[in-house]
Amino acid sequence: MSEQELQINPIVQDSVAHNTKTLTNLHSLTASLFGVGAGILGLESYYGFLFYIAFSITTSLLFYILQIAPSSLGEGRTVLDSGRYYRGALELWTSGIFNGLPGFILTWTLFYGLVRA
Amino acid sequence: MAQLPAQTLHRDPQLFYWILIPITVVMVLTGVLRHYASVLMTTTPKKADIKAIREQRALAHGASLRTNYHVLSRKAFETRRDFLIEGFESGAYLKAPNQKGQPPANPMSDPNAMEGMMGMMKNNMAMMIPNTLIMSWINAFFSGYAIMKLPFPITIKFKSMLQAGVLTKDMDPRWMSSISWYFLCIFGLQFVYVFLLGSDNAASQIAQQMQQQQMPVGPMAPGQDPHKMFKAEAENLAVIEHYSVLDGIEERLLERIKV
Repeated sequence: MSEQELQINPIVQDSVAHNTKTLTNLHSLTASLFGVGAGILGLESYYGFLFYIAFSITTSLLFYILQIAPSSLGEGRTVLDSGRYYRGALELWTSGIFNGLPGFILTWTLFYGLVRA
Repeated sequence: MAQLPAQTLHRDPQLFYWILIPITVVMVLTGVLRHYASVLMTTTPKKADIKAIREQRALAHGASLRTNYHVLSRKAFETRRDFLIEGFESGAYLKAPNQKGQPPANPMSDPNAMEGMMGMMKNNMAMMIPNTLIMSWINAFFSGYAIMKLPFPITIKFKSMLQAGVLTKDMDPRWMSSISWYFLCIFGLQFVYVFLLGSDNAASQIAQQMQQQQMPVGPMAPGQDPHKMFKAEAENLAVIEHYSVLDGIEERLLERIKV
C-alpha cells in the first residue's frame, strides 16, 4: 500500500539531492565560521563542542524559520515539521552537526593556535 | 589529586609563517588543481555504433517500462509489454543477432570496457599522486616541529600519530606536528572548496571516495551475454501484475474535496 502511495505522490530524487546539498553547504560554511569564533574566544574541550552544537542547531532553526516554515506552514503542517523538504526530521536537525565537524575542528585549531597558544 | 600545571611552550612565531601557512596554501591549491584536472580529464563519450546503442536503449526501455508501468493504462501497458517481449525473445534488438548463443568475449579485449577501467585508474591516480607527494614533502621539510596545540584533550594513543618526528616523551599529546595539521586539512577543507569552486566540485577526496563506493552499475555490465539479459527482462515484464495510479481516483478526489 505504501508503495502505491509513493507512486501517487512520487518523490523526485534530484530534488532530494538538491535539498540535501543546500543544507550541507550551509552547514559546512557556517561550521567553519563557528570554528573561528570558538578559537578567538579560546574555548577548550567540552565548551568548544557545546558551542558548536548549540550554534549548529541554531543554524538549523534559522534555516527552518527563514526557508522552510513559510511554505510548510501554508501547507497545513505543524510547526517544526520539515516533511515538505526532508524525509526524516533528523536529516534537517542533526545531519549538519556531523557534516560541519571537520571544518569546525580545523578552524578552531587554527585560530586557537593563532590567538592563544 | 593535584591538577597538573598546563604545559607551556615558547615557540618561534616564524613557525606560523614558514610551516602553517605554506601547508595550508598548498593543500587548498592541490584541491583546486584536482578539481580542474578532473574537469579536463573527463573524456567525451565515444560515438558508439548504432546497433550497440539500440541494444542498450531497448534494454533501458524494458527497465523503465517495468518501473513505471503504473502511470499507463492497462491497455497501453499491455500493448507495450507484448511488443517488447516479442522483440526481446526473438533477439531483434541484438547488436549481432547471429552470435546469439556464443559465450561473451573476454572483457579485457573489449576496447570499450578498457576505456571505463582507464577512467577509473585516472581518478585513482589523481588522488594518489598528490597525496604521496605532499606527504613526503611535509616529511622531508617540516618534520620535527611542534607547531600547534589542539584545543581539546585527546588520549595518549594519538601521540605517536600526531607527534611523529617529535621525540619528546613527556610532552602533552595535544601538541601536534606539521603532519597532523596536514591530516586536519585533508578532512576539514571541504568548506573552502565549496566557497571557491561551488558545491559540485571534485576537489575533496573524501567526497570522491564516498562517490566511488556507491557508483551504480551500468545497464550493460561488460562480459554478460546481451541475449540472456533480454530474456531475463522479458520474463520480468511478463510477470508484472498491472495496476494504474488512476485506479479509484474518483473516491480519492471526492474524499479530498469533501468539507
